[in-house]
Parts: sequence; C-alpha cells; structure tokens
Amino acid sequence: MKLTKSNASDEIAMDMTPMIDVTFQLIIFFMLLMDMSQKDLETLVLPKALSAEEDKPNPLDPRPVINITADGRILVKREVYFDPEHDDGYKKLKEYLLMRARAMPKAPVEPGSTIIAPDKPILVRADQSTPFKHIQKVMEICGIQDIKIWKIELAAGQEKPDKDAEEGGN
Amino acid sequence: MAIGVSRLQESTEMKGDMTPMIDVVFQLLIFFMLTIKFKLLEGKLSAYLPKDVGVNQTQAEPKEKVEIKLKVEREGTKLMPDDSGAPWSGEGAYKYGPDRVVRYSVGPKSSNEMREIVARVKELFKIDPKGSVTIDPLPGTCYSDVVKILDEVILIGYTDVSFIGDKSALYDKK
Repeated sequence: MKLTKSNASDEIAMDMTPMIDVTFQLIIFFMLLMDMSQKDLETLVLPKALSAEEDKPNPLDPRPVINITADGRILVKREVYFDPEHDDGYKKLKEYLLMRARAMPKAPVEPGSTIIAPDKPILVRADQSTPFKHIQKVMEICGIQDIKIWKIELAAGQEKPDKDAEEGGN
Repeated sequence: MAIGVSRLQESTEMKGDMTPMIDVVFQLLIFFMLTIKFKLLEGKLSAYLPKDVGVNQTQAEPKEKVEIKLKVEREGTKLMPDDSGAPWSGEGAYKYGPDRVVRYSVGPKSSNEMREIVARVKELFKIDPKGSVTIDPLPGTCYSDVVKILDEVILIGYTDVSFIGDKSALYDKK
C-alpha cells in the first residue's frame, strides 16, 4: 500500500522548469530578431530577380539598410532621413552614412591597391517603381571622400527559375 | 500538530497547474516562428560603385568595360502593384504596365528587346569573361528597370558590375 502512494507523488513532482526556461529563451530570441528585422525593412514592393542570392544578415554585425519609397522618401530604421517635400540637402543621410562608414572595417579596394575604403556593403531597398535617380543620389553620397562606401547590395525578391523556359530574357 | 500543518502546505504548493501558461507560451512561440519566416524571403544583387570617382584622387587602371545604357522611351500605364492589372488608384505604390518601353544600348547595338541585348552581352562575355560591366541608367528609369538588366548580367556570369550616375538627373526635382 505504501509503495503505491509514493509512486503517485513521484508523477506529480515532474519538473517542468527546464522546458519553460528553454521556451522563454526561444520566445525572447524570436522577439528580438523579429523586432530588428522589422525596424530595418520597410514594407516595399521589390522587383524580382532570378540571380538574387539569399540575404542572410548577421544580427551581431548589422549593416546599413537604406529604404527608398516610390515617392523618393529615404528611411532608415523607420525614421525618415530624407523627404523630397522638405529637402535638407540630404544632410541627415550624409551624417548617418559617415557615422556608419567610420565604424566599418577598412581594406584595400583591390589586392595590392593603395586605396583604402570600408570593406562592408550597404543594402539599398527600393520600391520597384522608385525613380532610379533617388538610388543614384544615395550612391553619390556613398562616394563622398569621407564616406567611400563602394560595395552596394540591391534588394530584390527571389524568383524561382521557370523550368519550362529554356532561354532567359523578357 | 505543527509538523502536520507544514506537510499540508508543501503538498498544496506542488499542485500549481502550469498547463495554461505552457499553452500560452507555445502559442507565442508558434506565432513568432511563423511570422519571422516572411521577413527572410528577400534576396540581394551585389554591385559596386566606381572606385576611382569620389573614393580616391589617384587614377584607376583603365579597363575594358561593357557599358549598358537604359533609356525610357515610353513610361507606360501605372497599375496597382498586385497582379490584378487594375489601374493605379493614385495613392501608394504602383508598377508599370507591359506597355512600358525601355531602350537598351551596348556600344552601337541598341534595342527595345531585352533578349537581343542579353545575346550581345553573352557574346562579349565569351570574348572576355573577366571583364566588367557598367550600367548607365538615364533619367526616367526606375528601380525595376535596373534590377532586370542587373539580374541578366549576373546570370550571364559577370561578377564585376558597377553603376554610372548621370548627375544631371540627380538634381532634377519634380
């Protein structure tokens, strides 16, 4: 009789603490990751590209992400850095890129070259109908003597290759 | 008597029901796991800016480059960004319809057909696979026009792709 009672109490005492700990850790991880990606990425309709490589950003080493809407507004982490309606001569964007360029590791632009420039790219995300002059302006600011960012990544939606179509082209 | 009471309290504490909390926690976990996937469907195309303009005063070594020019001949109708084909409402994002005409030029070769230009660039790639490509989007071009040609150039096999900026377009405020 006594043995049966002790068995019943053992079943009640099952320790759930490690499982709950792990689950909470996972929730915190996903919440942080989602929050960061949502801040960086504005809701835009990106053009599709077959050659677009999967974007795997390193959360520990965030790169500058510039979002450009169809009307030419430039946003970084949900904050408007340039608005064509209130033209400030791209002052805020220049300051931001200068700050980010200074924090980037530097390397020669080509093996053996004496030209030293930031070795990290920036990601430009623009709506499919954004006039390219707005992206060119960002490129021009990247080329300023003190910024010198020369690696650029253009965001595009990943398009699955059409197996039926043998020849590429539109 | 005192011993009996303390034993009773211990057994009450053990009976705390964790099931609702675990249910909620799992619901949250499933929600975050599902929503986070949508943000990772993006891709990227790598390109470069001219290394000899703005970066350094020293002249870069001259290289043979394939230069592709883009010029918009007809802007085309503005449609809603979904695939419904409905005309643009006048607010928010839009896309251009199939009547948009972009003229591509590579050297003396010029065409409205992307296929013809891709064939020419393929020929040039066969001659010099280590060459580089420069894309020169003229005023009026939009992001998707440039991504289309950049995509084709990367698919051909070029790894060194850069852009030329038409500065007259940069200060053109509408």
